[in-house]
Amino acid sequence: MSDDARQDQQPDAKGDDAAREDKRASFHEEKRLGKVVDRDLVRRLAGYVRPYLWLFIGCLVLLPMASAMTLFQPHLLQLAIDDHLIPKQLDGLGWIVGAFAVTLVLEYGLRFAQFYLMQLAGQQALRDLRCDVFDHLQRLRLSFFHKNPVGRLMTRLTTDIDSLQEALSSGMITIIGDLITLSVIVVILLVKSWQLALVTFAVVPILLGATFLFRSLMRSAYREARVKIARLNANLQEAVTGMGIIQLFAHEERSLREYDTINQEHRDAAIALIRYDAILYAFVEMISSIAIAGLIWYGAGQTVQDVVTLGVLVAFIEYVEKFFVPIRDLSQKYTLFQSAMASSERLFQLLDTDEVIEEAPEALPIEAIGERIEFRDVWFAYNDDNWILRGVSFTIERGQKVALVGHTGAGKTTIISLLTRMYDIQQGEILIDGVDVRRYRLHDLRKLFAVVLQDSFLFTGTIRDNITLRVDSVTDADVEHAAEIVGLGRLLGRYEDSYAHPVKERGNNLSVGERQLVTFTRALAHRPSVLILDEATANVDTETEALIQEATEAMMAEQTSVVIAHRLSTIQKADAIVVLHKGQVAEVGSHQELIERGGLYHTLVKLQYTAP
Amino acid sequence: MSDPSNQPKGRYLVSWPRMKRLAALFWMFRWNFLIGAVFLVATNVLALQIPSLIGGTIQHLRDAESAGAAANFDLIQGNVLWIVLLAVGAAGARILSRIFVFNGGRQVEYVLRNQIFAHLTRLETAFYERSATGDLVSRTINDVNYVRVLFGLGSLHIVNTAVAYLIILTLMMQVSPKLTLWSLAPYPLFLIVMRLFARALYTRTQRVQAQLSDISSQAQENLSGMSVVKAFAIQPEASAQFREASDAYLDANMSLALVRGAMLPYMGSIGAIGTLIVLGFGGSLVVEAEITLGEFVEFSAYIVRLAWPTMALGWVIALWQRGMAGFDRLCHVLDTEPSVADPPLGRARALELDGPGPRGEIAFEDVSLTYEDGTVALDRVNLTIAAGSTVAIVGRTGAGKSSLVQLVPRLRDPSEGTVRVDGVPIQELTLDTLRGAIGYAPQTPFLFSTTIEENIRFGLLAREASAATRGEQRAGEGLSLEDAVRIAGLTDDIPAFPQGLETMVGERGITLSGGQKQRVTIARALLLDPTILILDDSLASVDTRTERRILDELSRIMRGRTSILVTHRFNALELVDEVIVLEDGRVVERGPHRELIGEGGVYAEMVERQRLEEELNQS
Repeated sequence: MSDDARQDQQPDAKGDDAAREDKRASFHEEKRLGKVVDRDLVRRLAGYVRPYLWLFIGCLVLLPMASAMTLFQPHLLQLAIDDHLIPKQLDGLGWIVGAFAVTLVLEYGLRFAQFYLMQLAGQQALRDLRCDVFDHLQRLRLSFFHKNPVGRLMTRLTTDIDSLQEALSSGMITIIGDLITLSVIVVILLVKSWQLALVTFAVVPILLGATFLFRSLMRSAYREARVKIARLNANLQEAVTGMGIIQLFAHEERSLREYDTINQEHRDAAIALIRYDAILYAFVEMISSIAIAGLIWYGAGQTVQDVVTLGVLVAFIEYVEKFFVPIRDLSQKYTLFQSAMASSERLFQLLDTDEVIEEAPEALPIEAIGERIEFRDVWFAYNDDNWILRGVSFTIERGQKVALVGHTGAGKTTIISLLTRMYDIQQGEILIDGVDVRRYRLHDLRKLFAVVLQDSFLFTGTIRDNITLRVDSVTDADVEHAAEIVGLGRLLGRYEDSYAHPVKERGNNLSVGERQLVTFTRALAHRPSVLILDEATANVDTETEALIQEATEAMMAEQTSVVIAHRLSTIQKADAIVVLHKGQVAEVGSHQELIERGGLYHTLVKLQYTAP
Repeated sequence: MSDPSNQPKGRYLVSWPRMKRLAALFWMFRWNFLIGAVFLVATNVLALQIPSLIGGTIQHLRDAESAGAAANFDLIQGNVLWIVLLAVGAAGARILSRIFVFNGGRQVEYVLRNQIFAHLTRLETAFYERSATGDLVSRTINDVNYVRVLFGLGSLHIVNTAVAYLIILTLMMQVSPKLTLWSLAPYPLFLIVMRLFARALYTRTQRVQAQLSDISSQAQENLSGMSVVKAFAIQPEASAQFREASDAYLDANMSLALVRGAMLPYMGSIGAIGTLIVLGFGGSLVVEAEITLGEFVEFSAYIVRLAWPTMALGWVIALWQRGMAGFDRLCHVLDTEPSVADPPLGRARALELDGPGPRGEIAFEDVSLTYEDGTVALDRVNLTIAAGSTVAIVGRTGAGKSSLVQLVPRLRDPSEGTVRVDGVPIQELTLDTLRGAIGYAPQTPFLFSTTIEENIRFGLLAREASAATRGEQRAGEGLSLEDAVRIAGLTDDIPAFPQGLETMVGERGITLSGGQKQRVTIARALLLDPTILILDDSLASVDTRTERRILDELSRIMRGRTSILVTHRFNALELVDEVIVLEDGRVVERGPHRELIGEGGVYAEMVERQRLEEELNQS
């Protein structure tokens, strides 16, 4: 937001369209990352691998065994040649062929087992990471979701985690295997001839220099690609959900163009990566050949001077060829590693987002409200000094029905969010039975309330799922009891499958009225201490409206309730009406009292509830 | 949740139309792949020279040593120089080959994603009602990714494998054609087993992809419904459910790993089995002196080198099957024909918008609409809405009001009957023409995550853009942004937004109240200066006074054009020309407000009921 403000102060700096484009982008685009240390990322990733360490160790044990089988096969071949083919002795050749077959089967089995164990370990580690990210998202404050489009978060949960897959499964094992091979060969080379070894190692600084150079290039290219794919995802997601509007306003072409732009940017970022990858790969290949050429040239000169024997040189060249096999392999894995690190950065950044509502260290349990809820001089702002509530005080006694009324922006919805501790206040106290809400267990606190929002959000599943929200403690009896009070049963009569009737995404296949009654039933079935209702203004016919009104009254009769009321009848039945004006409590009292007082409430009622 | 009917069962061979589509993608970027292949062959040819030069040099040194003579230093230097040159050349060719081939893959990915998006914009409301957003997104992102790998890495491996096979088989044939044939004897059997592997890979990959879609859909819903998740404190349940889905994905992945794990060593062993045959059969050939020992050793070396391309072949098959599984899932989307589409090219009729007299007559002729689940929404509706009139459509929930007005901009097509605008059947108009004439504010307001202003200008921006591409200059608009904002009753709200009209509204307009969202959608529809304005219950969250003011303004600016209001509130309806009452998908009454009241029918009863309720409220 501060970026936007800065742009507003400099209207001349950019054209209108450009400024708007920037603003849009800042919502879809992500912040550039600060410096991230790979070691930390690797350490954290290792944390996910640790529970499956034994599987990895198993792989590490199986790998050399399989390799041994592979190495054993040429030996058998040699045996066949020396003992049978040269002396032209066919007897016993069958045994060798048999032994060869056995090593094949063993190799096959070992490699299979190794691959499977590796996958099992890697996939499980990824599953854990995915669940952790999901769980973390569940804990984040609502305001986080206002800032981050769903599509972007989805990219974290799917694409980013999947890009770690190869690094965690095949990558890690081969890297370890390669490193072991490499160190063995280095030792052999040094023992054979340290002079020649040093000549060979002369290329190592070149290789390291190249990889170091490519590291930052590749990393930023990978980051770029990740950001773009997340943006592509978010754009697509929004377009799919708003496709009806896009079509109605003949916006298809323009939407496609927007999508195309991001798609192009993503492609270009990916193409930059291809370039770096190709150059690095080819470079390592080239260096290995040149190193051998250099060795031959230098070595031949040395043999002439008799510093090394020719036999040593010949053997040496063959070893040097083997020396470059793991190096080539590692440079390939290096790309994989960069990709994995770019994803981990994003994932751990998300996991480190601490926009959570903190729970007190020794939070108190609470099961029900004993006496009252009290707002005591509550000050609250979503950001900085933009005060939404300015010193709000009122009480809700147990069993009372309290109505909140006031203009849009008076702070009604905010009060509801504060009751369930979606946000923490800056000043004052919100007390339940005399104890600050911040001292209760968050989960317990929220369980006290059941909230019916204006927007009746339904999940894919059945009607029953949407009522119970798959919470086990909500029994069939609860559901039926709640449905009876609300009058959902009458509506469900239309469906043969009743509670098992399927609900499509967002409840698209149900009418607005049905959706509302389902959310009512949901709220009651969870047997809350306090019912919170953000009354949706009528968008249903008189009959359904009557049904909803009846339901509302029936619900409220059952228990303590707080209602953002729009219907006069609802307000009239309230025990207390809290009239809010610009973030302050203007009046409190019953309908009759307030009408008689002839204050703000009186005007409000006259304005909103009487036809002119 | 992924639609199970979209998952083909046990089928892995790909149909011709699919192959043609794939071939078309290849053809589009054929130069990338062909030039890349040429460079790839060049890389292989150049790179293969290096080992023989090294081998030759070593041989020379060895010969020199055994002969006790000094090595020819000039020859060695020449060889060294050649190696360096070849290495540099191979590196250049390698870089170019990878860039060409992999870029081709990225281009395919780019084009495919655009194709899907373009196709999605053509699919009608009913399609979106039965598809999960997460699933569609997952297909466009993840499945396309696998097709990209099929084109990029897949073709690289195919060329490499083919080149390697060609070279090695030639060398083997030179040594002993007989032994070559023998060592290739088990290949037919391998191919049969490979088909089994391929089939298993395909079906299991499809399952993995479906599970990934499932995870996506679930997470997408959870994140969109976060306010409910939090308010009911169901995080533990949500997490458990997500873990279940993740476990299912893990299981699917592991069942795929079973096949992949078995396949790779299997492919590796093919080469080794070749060695086994050479050992057994070739050995006896040596003993029988049909081939020399040297030839035998050389031949074994070739067989060993065959192992790598065979393994790579396994990779190709795995990539291919995965790519095809993804491609198939994409084709399910791409092959869904939009049922609401433009008339055939050249047969489209024009809509006379600028002629004299009122415009926007809408006629429903014997229109019926039955939904996929069998519900009859409209039942033989015959109705003409006069050009230039303002009508209200009322009726109970489920009476068919929204369904009726959704037919006009062709969000749906009727199952039977015809809808005409100014006498032209709307199926004979292009969608652009038809929708360009209509301003529509839907029942559930949907806003895009951009500024308020851009949301209001949404339709106008599109219109300007398409006019610009056609090189047209549109005459000045009838309505300014300020007018639209004022008429929609937003003027008083604007100062309350932190940055006025430039305020970002968040995803789906999350930061606005229900009423504000509705009024923004009304302003959006108005700004198009439409011939037909449809407000589908979009004043529901607006209070009665504002509603009346909006309707007053509307009747002024919509003079000579048609307005349709779907509504549940009757107290402002004396302002409209005609009220149409729907019941169970049929028109049961129509006429001016007062007339209908006088008749004392269904409408009069509904109005009376509402009046009584309001009175009750105010007493």
